[in-house]
Formats: sequence, structure tokens, C-alpha cells
Amino acid sequence: MIKLENVTKRYGDKLVVDGLSLEVAEGEVCVLIGPSGCGKTTTLRMINRLVEPTSGRITVGDRDVRSAAPEELRRGLGYAIQSVGLFPHLTVAANIMTVPRLLGWERSRMRARVDELLTLVGLAPDAYATKYPRHLSGGEAQRVGVARALAADPPVLLMDEPFGAVDPLNRERLQGEFARIQRDLRKTVVFVTHDVDEAIRLADRIAVMKDGRLRQYDTPERLLDHPADKFVHDFMGADRALKRLGRVRVDTVMNTAVPRIDRSGGGAALTSPASCAVERFAYVVDAAGVMEGWSDCREPESSESPGSGVTLIDWREATVRPDDSLKEALSHMLELGFRRIAVTDDSGHLLGDVSLAEVEAALTGGDSHVATSPAGGLDW
Amino acid sequence: MKRRWAGVAAVALGATAFGYLVSREDWWAVALHWLFPSLPVVLFSSATLAELVIQHLQIVLTSSAFTIALGIPLGIWVTRESGRDFRELVSATADLAQTFPPIAVLALVLPALGFGPAPAIVALSLYGLFPVVSGTVAGIDAVPRAVLEAARGMGMGRWEILRRVELPLAARVIMGGVRTSVIINIGTATVAAAAGAGGLGSPIISGINTQNGALLLEGAAAAAMLAVLADAALDRAEELLTPSSQ
Amino acid sequence: MVREPDNIDPGVSHLADRVGATGALIVLAGCALLPLYALRANRIVPGIAQPIAAGGPAAWVLVLLAMVALAAALRARGPSRARLELACAAGMIASLSWALAYAAANITPDPASPARVSIGAGAWLAIAGAAAVWFAATRSPMSRACRVGAAALVAVSWLAAGWWGGLARLSILREYSSQSDAFWNEVGTHLTLVGAALGLAIVIGVPLGILASRVLRVRRVTLSAVGLIQTIPSLALLGLLVLPLAALGLPGIGPLPAIIALTLYALLPIVRNTYLGLAQVDASAIDAGLGMGMSRSQLLTRVEAPLALPLVIEGVRAAAVMTIGIAAVVAFIGVGTLGVLIITGLGYQADDLILLGAVPMVLMAVVADALLRALGRFVTSPGIREEAR
Repeated sequence: MIKLENVTKRYGDKLVVDGLSLEVAEGEVCVLIGPSGCGKTTTLRMINRLVEPTSGRITVGDRDVRSAAPEELRRGLGYAIQSVGLFPHLTVAANIMTVPRLLGWERSRMRARVDELLTLVGLAPDAYATKYPRHLSGGEAQRVGVARALAADPPVLLMDEPFGAVDPLNRERLQGEFARIQRDLRKTVVFVTHDVDEAIRLADRIAVMKDGRLRQYDTPERLLDHPADKFVHDFMGADRALKRLGRVRVDTVMNTAVPRIDRSGGGAALTSPASCAVERFAYVVDAAGVMEGWSDCREPESSESPGSGVTLIDWREATVRPDDSLKEALSHMLELGFRRIAVTDDSGHLLGDVSLAEVEAALTGGDSHVATSPAGGLDW
Repeated sequence: MKRRWAGVAAVALGATAFGYLVSREDWWAVALHWLFPSLPVVLFSSATLAELVIQHLQIVLTSSAFTIALGIPLGIWVTRESGRDFRELVSATADLAQTFPPIAVLALVLPALGFGPAPAIVALSLYGLFPVVSGTVAGIDAVPRAVLEAARGMGMGRWEILRRVELPLAARVIMGGVRTSVIINIGTATVAAAAGAGGLGSPIISGINTQNGALLLEGAAAAAMLAVLADAALDRAEELLTPSSQ
Repeated sequence: MVREPDNIDPGVSHLADRVGATGALIVLAGCALLPLYALRANRIVPGIAQPIAAGGPAAWVLVLLAMVALAAALRARGPSRARLELACAAGMIASLSWALAYAAANITPDPASPARVSIGAGAWLAIAGAAAVWFAATRSPMSRACRVGAAALVAVSWLAAGWWGGLARLSILREYSSQSDAFWNEVGTHLTLVGAALGLAIVIGVPLGILASRVLRVRRVTLSAVGLIQTIPSLALLGLLVLPLAALGLPGIGPLPAIIALTLYALLPIVRNTYLGLAQVDASAIDAGLGMGMSRSQLLTRVEAPLALPLVIEGVRAAAVMTIGIAAVVAFIGVGTLGVLIITGLGYQADDLILLGAVPMVLMAVVADALLRALGRFVTSPGIREEAR
């Protein structure tokens, strides 16, 4: 969809982008990343001709970007920047409708589109459409910026650190929203960031740049597993293994066939010799399937409290969701002191679990499913 | 550092040059004769140029002195606890008063106080008060609250805060107000010549009345030079009052 | 002293209204220490102070209301205090008009006589004091009806005093009636000159300001040039224009140099504010606008202009007020604006002629200021309005 062929940008005798060639397929998210001054923002701005290349060719959808007037080109590309750049004198709705107005849409169509977009980015249309940018928080402004970029439904989105100016919690949320929106809309996106974690989370392919040159252009997995040189290796960070885990969704590796017992039998019954003979370890769920804890027969039974082999937990605090990453699951495990952690849906229904074994497998590509209680030892 | 003092030196040089130039009426006579060969009289006869400049300066400097002496304390007072009630009134009055044409203020004072330089000084002091008050209030307001809190936290008393924190930080804006006031005063003092105040307006008005372009030019050129010089000097003063860190 | 809790409005002070009290005291001082009216034997002789009683019952009403206002400021509480103060302020200004009318009618009953009654310094002080009380009263929240009602009372009172009460016998109005044609001519010339100069300054200044915001060299040169002009006294500039105009074969006095000078002076606020207005437009908004596909001219009209407009109008406001003042000075070079009245008055030492020139000029400036401020508020998008303090 987007092709850069040997693109170079020179300011005086300063070479900002040096012979860059890459191709972004349709529906793909390509993240440009690198240290400050590596040329990633300049590259992005050459795609919509806010900066003109010194040499080289850029095509979008098989059309050379120079074949039409720059304004016409830009109206077909969505553009979202870090400082958002909302027009302070216009309402949120008017801001969003900037490009459609330039394109001459009718009013009713625009109004409908505003509602659609605000809902898409998670802002209630009735509340937000008539607000002015000065009344928006940082996160809200960023969302409006994204809505504005999507307004005319361009096939391509250019984003320059769009979540950079927001606090970490909000950035986390916005990234999640973006991933969700992208799953629905499948736009071709060129995204600039300096945050490696963000890149790994959102990208289909990452282009690592330094001093204006492309060092490696690959999927996040391959970048983490097979960095092309020391720079890429170091840039991706010392915790590459953990980052790698960030790409694996829990529901792709979790054990679904986990032993479970219905609570109706009563507490003591769960650790009676009889039930322990059947299953040494099982998750305890209620009648609806919502997780309540687990029962481990191998735990030493204390004379003070019979049935202490049953551990009750609050599923909201001690489980992970299926679309969380293995990295998050591992983090939870470490935090709680477990060696395995249950996976539940948003209402607490037990779906499966993951253990350190799955973590190791994901890292090595191996495969070991060993059922172990969270508090017990790891059986290899 | 060097740049600041270079600017001051330049102004000092300019002032000296101007002072000398004004004293050499013969040079003016030659120049004006050359420009207006057909006119018999080229210089203002009732006073030498130097005297006119001094008259003008007297009016401006006296009124500015009153203005500063009254205006800055008034501006400070309305930002203090004791004067806070009056702040809105003073600000509104200052804003309103600054819409009054200066000539009108001069004209309004005259019926009450008569002719001559003294009424002009009163009028100019009164009119010049308002930019200074506005500037003082604005300057003190602009001191960041965090700085004031820090000063209070360090145990500075109110007087000390005013002296050591607020005034130094506000100095530049206050100076800006003084500058506006003085420049307006120079201009109004020129017109005050019509009310018997003397100064550089006299040759201009005389020149208009007698259709003598040379007199006109004598007064106008000197007045313009004086004004530009004063503005440059006050600009330097504004710069100097900015703490080097800003 | 027990303080009653003010449970109606937190904005109304529990304590004495010092501003209102001061205003009332000023009125009383004006009545007691200075004459409200002065009698002159003719146009040019200074006036002889007249006792306050010469104003008849209205003068005593004025004093009474001042005392009531003082008491209200010191003792009353709550929203009723504000209303009372406003009523007193309006009443004071209204009764002053009747006192002046009465004095004018009674002291100089014969309209043919050159003797006349003029407004004394005390009256001016009383107006100032009453205005201060009015100001203090309107700090508190008050219904629109109250404010409009008070203003209406004053307006009606002065008009009535003028029509029936003999206010027309007041010296300044006698001056007016003897000069009315010339007066309105001068007002017309004044306004025309100001309008033309402002128009020219906008037509030249706004594009210059736009250029200055784009090109650094233009900015430096332009701002320095107009700044320089601004410091030159207006009378001096008029004098300096004579020579170059004469060299071009054009008249050195009259409307031409007047318009040139007025336009030059009006340029600074307009050029500078246009430049500042554009300079303070958020750079990321401009980047976003361009990035989304606006052309340069679309960017200017849809983004930069609306955001810069409030400052530009502010510049026009400052220019207007200044130009109204300088338009008086051009009377020196023979242009018939209100300045002519002032100059002639200075020449004859006729105070009321001077006032006849000065007061309308002040009113013009104040009205123009208010109108342009309102225009500024009108064109400011709610998204960029300053937060109310």
C-alpha cells in the first residue's frame, strides 16, 4: 500500500534520512522506531509531503505522492500528532469534521459520522460533541485527535507519537483502544514512537531506524529473537524475553482442561481423602462456573483448621483475562507468589490456567503442560 | 552583560550628542536656511532651542516624578490586603481614564487651573498616573504564586516579600508602564504649548500660525529626536531592570 | 458587633463597603468644600463660586442621598445594600442634574444676558463620587432590571432637566447652542477622519501584520518602523510631514497630512496585534491543519483568522481610542475637528468652549472603546474565551 523507494532527506549538509526503502502492506501497522534524531518523524512527514524528500520516490496505493497537489493527498490520509493540535476555537464535533468539510460532505452525513466516531473512540457523543478542546483532559483530547484522523475514513493513517503526551495509565488504555479499533477497521497505519513496548504491542512490523538509516524491518517476534545487529539488540532492551512474552496472548497458550470441582460439596469434603484420591488439585467454582479458589490435597493440613487445603480467592484480583499477554500473567504470578494462575473471563468464569511452564514454552518454543498447584513445586 | 551596558553607553552617547546639537543653534540656522531659502526667519525668536528643550523636559520630568511617586505606591497598595477592596475600582478607573484622549484631559484641567506650565504639569501627572498604576498592578500580579509561597515558607515578612521578591520581579512591567506614561507625556507636553506651557510645541504652533515651515521643522525635529531618545533610554532601563536570569 | 451570616450570596461582603463609603465621602466633600456651580459674568471671565443652596431642593436631596449612601455602605448588609447604594448613586446623579438646572435658571433668569452659570469643580467631584458608589454597588450580583432601571433614571432625569428644568441655561450648553451647527460639523469631521484613518490602517496594517508573522525580516523592519512613529509626538509628526509633502507639491497642512499622520499612528496597534494574534496560534493546530489537507489560504481563514481575531480587534480598539485623541491635534493644521473648539477656547480663554470640545471627545472615546470591546467579545469563540476571574 505504501512504498518508500530509496528516500533521502538532506537539510544543508545534514543527512536526516538516508536511502530508506520499505513497504507497508495494506491493513498493516508499521511502527517506525528509533532514538531521537533518527529520522522517523521526518520519514512520516514525507509520506504526506509536509516535508519534501530530497530524492527517492514514495507511493501510496500505487500513486506517486507527488502526482497530485499536496492538499489533495493529505485529505486522503489520516494524520494524528502528539500534541494533537485540536482547533481551540471549534467544538469537538467541528474539529472532527475538518476533513469531511474540506471534502464537501453534507451536514447530515457529517453529524452521523461524528456520533459514530466518538462512540468508536470511547467518548459519549451527547456529552462530548459540543465541548471545546480546553475542557478536555489529555486522554480525551488524544481520542478526539484519533477520531479526527479517521473522520473521512481514509485507508491510511499517519500517527506521530499520538499517545506520547499522556500519563502512563491513559497511554495504556489508549493503546488498547487503538488495538481494538485497528482490529475492526484494518487501516494501513504508519506509526512513529520511541517507546519500544508500545511498538511491540501495536505493530505488525517494526522499522528500527538510526541516523536516518533503516536497521531492521521485521515482525516484533523476529526483532526480539533475531536482532540484525548490536544496535537493534540493545535498542529492543535487555528484557527482550519479557517483551517477547508481551506478544503472546494468554488464551493462545492456556490449559483449558483444568480440573474443577463444584463447591456444593462443602469445604471439608473437598479435601477429604475420598476426593483427594480423585484429583489432587482442582479449582473450586460455584454453581455458575465462577471461580472461587482451589483445593490442593498436597498442602499440609493443619490441625487447627481442617479443610485448610482450600484456598479462597477473589477472582478479580488473582486471575488474568484471556486477552492479557503472557507478560502480564507472569507479572501477576510473581506478584501473588503463584506458579500458576487461573484465566477467567470478565465475569469470573473459569476458562483455564497458565503456569510457568507455558511461559518457558513460549520463550523456548517448547511444550510442557504440567499440572501443578500454584503453591506447589514445579514438576519437571 | 556586556550587551546591556553597551546599550546604555549608546543611549548616553546619543543623549550627549543631542544635548550638544540642541545647543548649537547656529547649525540649525544654517540647515533651515538651506531648506527654506525664501524664509526670512528660521528660528524661534522667543527662546533658544536649548531653552525650549529644557522647558519641555522640565514639564515631562516633573510630571513623571509625581506620577511615579503617586502611581507606584497606589498600584502596590491595591495589591495589598488593605487596599484590595479598591483594586477593582482603581483598575476600572485606570482603564477608563486611558481611553480619554490626553488632549482632552489637558483641556479639562485648564478651566480649573488656568494657563502656564504648572497646570500642564498637573494634567500630565494626572493622566500619566494611569499607565503607571496599571503597569504596577499587572507587574505584581504576574509574579508567580509559587515564588510567593516559597518566600512565605522561608519566613519572609510581607514587607520583605514586597521589597525582595515582588518589586524586583515586577520591575520590568512597571518600567513598561512608566515608559508608556513618559512617551505620552512628551507628546502631550508638545500640545500643552498651546496652553502657555512652553516647550517644543511653541515653535511648531508658531510656525503653523505664521505659515513658517522652518519654525515648524525646528520644533518638530527636536521634539521627535527627544522622544525617540527618551524611548530608547527607557527601553534600556527596562532591560536593566530585568534580573539577568530572566 | 454581631455579624449576621449572609446566607443568600457568598459574594457579598459582610464588612463595610469601603469603596462605596469612599465614593459617598467624595460626594460630600465635593458639596461641602467646592462649589457645585459658578457664576461668570461672561464667556471669558473666571467664575464666582455659588452656594449650594442656589441649586434649590435638588441640591439638598443630593447631600441627603450622599449621607444615606454612606450609611448604607457602612451599616447595611447583604444584597439590599447593593440595591440601596445603586439607588442612591442614580439618585445623586439625577438630583445633580436638577440642581444644576435650577441654579442655571434661577441665578441667570435672563437668557439674553451674557452672565452664565457653569458646572463647578464640586459637581465634577460629586459625579466622580457617585460613579464610585455605583461601581461599588454593581460589584454584587444584581438583576438586570435594577441596573437598567438605575441607568434609565439618570438618563431620563438629565433629559428632563434639559427640556424643562433649564439645564440648557448651563454655560456649556449655551455655548453649544450658539455654536450648534459648527459643533456638529466638527463632530462629523472628527468621526469621518477617525473612520477613514482606521479604515486605511486596517487595510494596510492587517496584511502587513500577516506578512510580518511569516517573514522575519519584514517583521523586524515593520515593527521597528511603526514603533518609532508611535513615539513621535503627534504635533511633531504633523510638522515633519510638511517638508516632504511640499517637496511632492502637496499641501503641508489640511486634511492630507492629517489623514497620513492619523493612519501612521493607527498602524502600530493594528500591525503589532495582527502579528501577535497570528504568532500565538498554537503551532500544533497549524501542523494538524496542514497535515489534514488544508491549503495555506484555508488554514488562514479557518484556523488562524478566528484564533487571531480577538487580538486584532483589541488592536483596532486601541487604535480607535488613540486616533480619536490625535484627531483633535490635527485641528492645529486647520482641519475642523473637535480640537478646533479646544484651540479656539484656549485662544479666548473661554472655558466652556474648551469643555464643549473636550467632553464630547471623551464620550466618543469611551463609547468607541465599549463598542469595540463588545465586538471583540462577540467574535471570540467560546473555545478561546478567557476564563472569567
